[in-house]
Parts: sequence; structure tokens; C-alpha cells
Amino acid sequence: MTAPKNLSSAQLVRLVAGREVATRIRDKGFIISSVVILLVIVAAVVIQVLTGSGDEESRVGLVGGDASLVTALEAQGEALDVDVEVVELDDEAAARTAVDDEDVDGALLAGDDELLVRESAGGTLEAIVQGAVGQLAVAQQLSDAGIGELDVPEVGVTALDADAAADGQRVVAAIFGVVILYSLLILFGQFIAQGVVEEKSSRVVELLLATMRPWQLLAGKILGLGVLALGQIVAIGVVAVVAALAFDVVEVPGDLISTVAIVIAWFVLGYAWYAAVFAVAASLVSRQEDLATVLMPTSMVLVVAFFIGIQAASDPGGLLARVTSYIPGLSPLVMPVRQAAGEVALWEVALAVVLMVLAIVLVVRLGGRIYSGALLRTGGKIKMREALAAERA
Amino acid sequence: MLEFDGLHKSFGEVRVLEGVGFTVAPGSMFGFCGSNGAGKTTTMRIAMGLVRSDAGEVRWQGRPMDQASRRRVGYMPEERGLYPKMKVGEQVAYFARLHGLDAVAATKASEDWVERLGLGPRRDEQVEKLSLGNQQRVQLAAALVSRPEVLILDEPFSGLDPVGVDSLADALLGQVREGVPVVFSSHQLDLVERLCDSVGILARGRMVATGTVEELRRRGAGRLLRVVVPDAAPGWADGLGGARVVSEQAGDTLLELSPDTDDQSVLGAALRTGRVTHFAWQQPTLVELFREAVATPSTEEVAA
Repeated sequence: MTAPKNLSSAQLVRLVAGREVATRIRDKGFIISSVVILLVIVAAVVIQVLTGSGDEESRVGLVGGDASLVTALEAQGEALDVDVEVVELDDEAAARTAVDDEDVDGALLAGDDELLVRESAGGTLEAIVQGAVGQLAVAQQLSDAGIGELDVPEVGVTALDADAAADGQRVVAAIFGVVILYSLLILFGQFIAQGVVEEKSSRVVELLLATMRPWQLLAGKILGLGVLALGQIVAIGVVAVVAALAFDVVEVPGDLISTVAIVIAWFVLGYAWYAAVFAVAASLVSRQEDLATVLMPTSMVLVVAFFIGIQAASDPGGLLARVTSYIPGLSPLVMPVRQAAGEVALWEVALAVVLMVLAIVLVVRLGGRIYSGALLRTGGKIKMREALAAERA
Repeated sequence: MLEFDGLHKSFGEVRVLEGVGFTVAPGSMFGFCGSNGAGKTTTMRIAMGLVRSDAGEVRWQGRPMDQASRRRVGYMPEERGLYPKMKVGEQVAYFARLHGLDAVAATKASEDWVERLGLGPRRDEQVEKLSLGNQQRVQLAAALVSRPEVLILDEPFSGLDPVGVDSLADALLGQVREGVPVVFSSHQLDLVERLCDSVGILARGRMVATGTVEELRRRGAGRLLRVVVPDAAPGWADGLGGARVVSEQAGDTLLELSPDTDDQSVLGAALRTGRVTHFAWQQPTLVELFREAVATPSTEEVAA
């Protein structure tokens, strides 16, 4: 038998982390939640494909009129980004039936210049029909007046804000990201908290602390679950990007990938902070039943951050989004949205990161002391002040 | 030597330990007795670094215990603790690794101990599915798996059935034979009396008695002599010089002799009454010593 060695802090932390990983990846709840999240992502992309993407379509019934009207309708549709399909109908009665049956979106009675619709014509439909009829009438009158070929100058188009579409996609990706971030932070925060209470309620913590310091145990737990959480969010990011590219949802893959990378980077910071806070809060109680009470304040912060993040997507430059994107704890869910919207200077990101890192250091140091003081005290809920005092004792 | 030296500890206003000290030689077993709340658990927790002492220290081989030397200690806390959902074999191996064994050695040591403590068929079961007795064995395996140099066990026998007590006692004696100093606390004084080379009694934060069971007996015994003389008339011993009758019932007589009284003269007097069926110095049981030590403040304490 080889002689037992003295262990360094890093080795102890790795042992604890290894146990966390080994225990979790065999836990059914963990496996199921991971699979469900991935399925939700794929489903969301598929729904995006089915509803949002592609051009609008419109079926227009036509009674009378000639080929030039059909061409004009289709040309108008193209100008307005609508796939117009013209259905030739025999008479007004047939047109009425077709509209009633919703076989067509509207029916044009060419002779009367009248558009039949079911309830009201959509703006585009009316514009298409009006445009087509008007264009033909003008052409007819010009031709009647003896002016055949008319030289109409073609308008050249220069897009001043070509990024707008890409920005939009990045923001959608960022909102997705915020939802994922929030879900994973809550999920892994719960895992950490449950793990801490399990060690306390089963009293195994006394045996653990006979071989290591509280901070080593805390660090091991956070790192172990952190590796899993990071693996999960990277897997989600990869699946989302691949699915989005495969289904042709995005036009600018580079932007999507950079947004995913930003979300993952903020997840690391957010996870470190929330995991430490959840662990320290959990150390104050000894029973799983008491957990909800001590986790409540932090969970509330996370929920608030989530809603601000979603709100920031619609108003990334707004005061609320700007201020909260610096506040540690809120920034991981707000800053990625602002970054995706492209309205943030580098120094702003740097400031938010620095503040967040400072907050993490503070929580780990102060929280670590509370954690140390509270671990060996069982019974009811311990006050933070008592835990700090006990740590010094 | 494992030395507990001058430990003081207060929790707020409550002074729990006021100078606790004792020594345990390698290869000997030390029984740590005391009433509930006397400070036994606090003393052991200080040794394990779980509680910081206000003064005093615990030394192993002449050096104050630190995290490295504590890793060489097998510890069983009063509140048993294991991961309820972890499998027996993996759990024991995990504790072996925390005590510094590498992965291969830890797995092997875990298998050995699980087998040795009769848990072989349970190796792949979750700890929470085991009976309490078997959970205790896993706990013991976790304490012994790293081949500790020192064993510190807080109430290891509590909750065990007689068979469990015997097998734990055997395991501990086996460790002692290998030269490990063993400290354990217990309320089961008969066990302490049977197993321990030396005993310490803790009361009100102080050691009120330490020594071998024999020494304690001699100290606590005084000069009590039990003589059974079935044929003697009542009051047969009243006239004996230097002996006071403590109790007498149908010839079963308990005498307290003054220090200079010769017990042989008492025997002579007894023989003169007829048959003598029992004649022996009264050996106080550890229970009696314990009661006495815990109940009355000793002279040292009064002096202090």
C-alpha cells in the first residue's frame, strides 16, 4: 500500500469537485433537465422557422382582367416583399365564395375595380391591389394619350443602416441567451444549495472539515458544479448555433456566434457570484425544508435581473438598462443584451466586468467566513452575524 | 505520544473547558468519560481543528496538530455523518482519498475495509438504504480506511447492539496492537473498564481523574473491606479497633479501615466468629468512581 500523501489545496478542491461531478452526472434529475433544455432550444429554433422566417404570402382572386393585371399584381407583391399568387375566378359569385371560404385573402373584380375581402383588407393586400390597378390605369391612360414607352428612372438604393437586421438577430439571440442564463443560474444555484444542506443535514460536513478547510470545500463544490454548468451552456450554445444555421434562421452566423460567446462569458461571472451566494445562504440552515426561505432574497434578485434583461432587449440604450448593466448581480443578465444590441462602448463592458469580479471576490471572502462559521452549527436558522462570530471563535 | 495540553474554551459566557489535559501512549486505548455536556466533544473537536481552543494545544509526536497531521487521524464524530445517497464502496474510497491515498490505493483500501467489516455484499448500495448498524460500520470504515496513525472516536459504541459492540471493540483492539493510540469517549463505563488502558474523567471542564483503571481504583477505593461471616452474631465487628462498620446484613459486612489498621487482624477476628466465606478489599466499579468524581468537586478543584 502506498503511503498517504499530504494534499495540496488544489488537490483537495479537485477531489471535492470530482465528487460533485461524478454524483451529478449520474443523477436522473440532472440528466433529464439537461436533455429538456436542449430539446427546448431545438424546438424554439424550429418554431422560429415555421412562423417567422420567409416572405409573406398572399392569394388574390381575380375576376376578369388580363395577363397584364396578373403581372402587375405579382410585381407589386414583389416590391412589397409579398409572394402574390393570383387565382383566376369565373365570376363575382365564385369570388364571394372563395373569399368566404378563405380560399383567397381577397378577390379583385377587375371590371368594377372592386376588392372583395372577408373582414378588412390587410394594409399590404390593399396596397398591392391598389398599386397594380393604379399602375395599369396610368399605363392605359398614357397609352391612350399616345405616350407609349415611358422612361422611368430606376431608383438606386443605398442602405445607411445595413446592420439593423443583424442587430435584430443578435438581440433575439441575446434574449434567448438571457432565458438560458437565468434558467441555468437558478438550476445550478439550487443544486449548490441542496448540496450544502445535504452535507449539513447528514452531518458529513464534520468529517469533511476534519480533512479540509471550509473554503476548500466551498471552492470544490462551486467549481465542480461550475464545470457541469459550463459544459451545459456550451452544449446549448453549440446546439443553438448549429440548429439556427441548419434551419437557415440567421443571416449572419458570425454575429450569432459572438453573441453566444458573450452570453457564455457572462454566465461564468454570474454563476460564480450566484453559486457563492446560494451556497453561503444554504449554509445557514440545516434542513431542505428551510432552504426556500434563505434562498428567497437572492432568487428575487435573479428574477429582477431576468426581467430587466428582457426589457433591455427592447430598449438597450435606456437609462434602466444602462444603469443595471453595471450593477453586479444584475449585469450578467443585462450587459449581454446591450452588447448584442451593439450600443455599448468597450469601457462600459470593462467597468461592468471589473465590478462583477470585485463583487465575486467580496462574496467569496465574506461569504466564506459565514460558511465556515455556520457549517458546524445545526438546529434552526442561523443569523449571519452569529455565523461570523462563530467563525472567529 | 498524543498529548492534550491545558485546553481552555469558552462559548460566549459559558466556560466549557478549563484546562483539560491528558496523554495517550501509542498502542494504548484511552477512555474518555464524563457526563453530558462535560466537554468531551469539544475536546475532540479541538483536536480535529473543528473548534479553535482559547488556550492550550493538542500535540502528536511532539508537534502541535495541523491540517497535515490531522489527515493522519481517523475521526468519528458524535453526530455520524455520511453522504446518504453515495454508494458504500465509493464513499469509503472518497474518504480514503481525502486522507491522502491515491485513487488506486483508495479503491483497494476501501474494498479491504468494506470486506473486513462484513459489508462486502452492500458495497454498491446507497448508505441510506443500510440498517443503522451497517451505517455505523461504514462510518468506522471511513475512519480506518486511510490507516490512520491516531484514532479519535466520539461515542463510537452508542447505538450498537452487543454484537456490534464486540466487533467494534475487536477492531479497536486490533488498531491498538498495531501501535495506534486510540481515544474514545463513552458512557458505557463497563466497556471503558474492559477495553481501556487508561481512563480520564471529565467534569465541569476539568479532568477530575486520570490514570489506569487500577490507579483510579486504588485512589478511589479508600480502605473498604468486605467480610462475609454467615455464622457471626450481629454486631460482631463493633468492638474491632480501627474499623468502622459501614453496613452489616446477615453477616455480610462492609468495614472501613483506618489507614494504619492491619487487615489481617480483622481476618483473625472474623475467623473467630466461625466460617469466613468472603474476605476482600472492595473494588469500586468505574461507575462508582465516576459518580464520586463527577458529584463532588475534588480538592484540586477547590484549591483552584
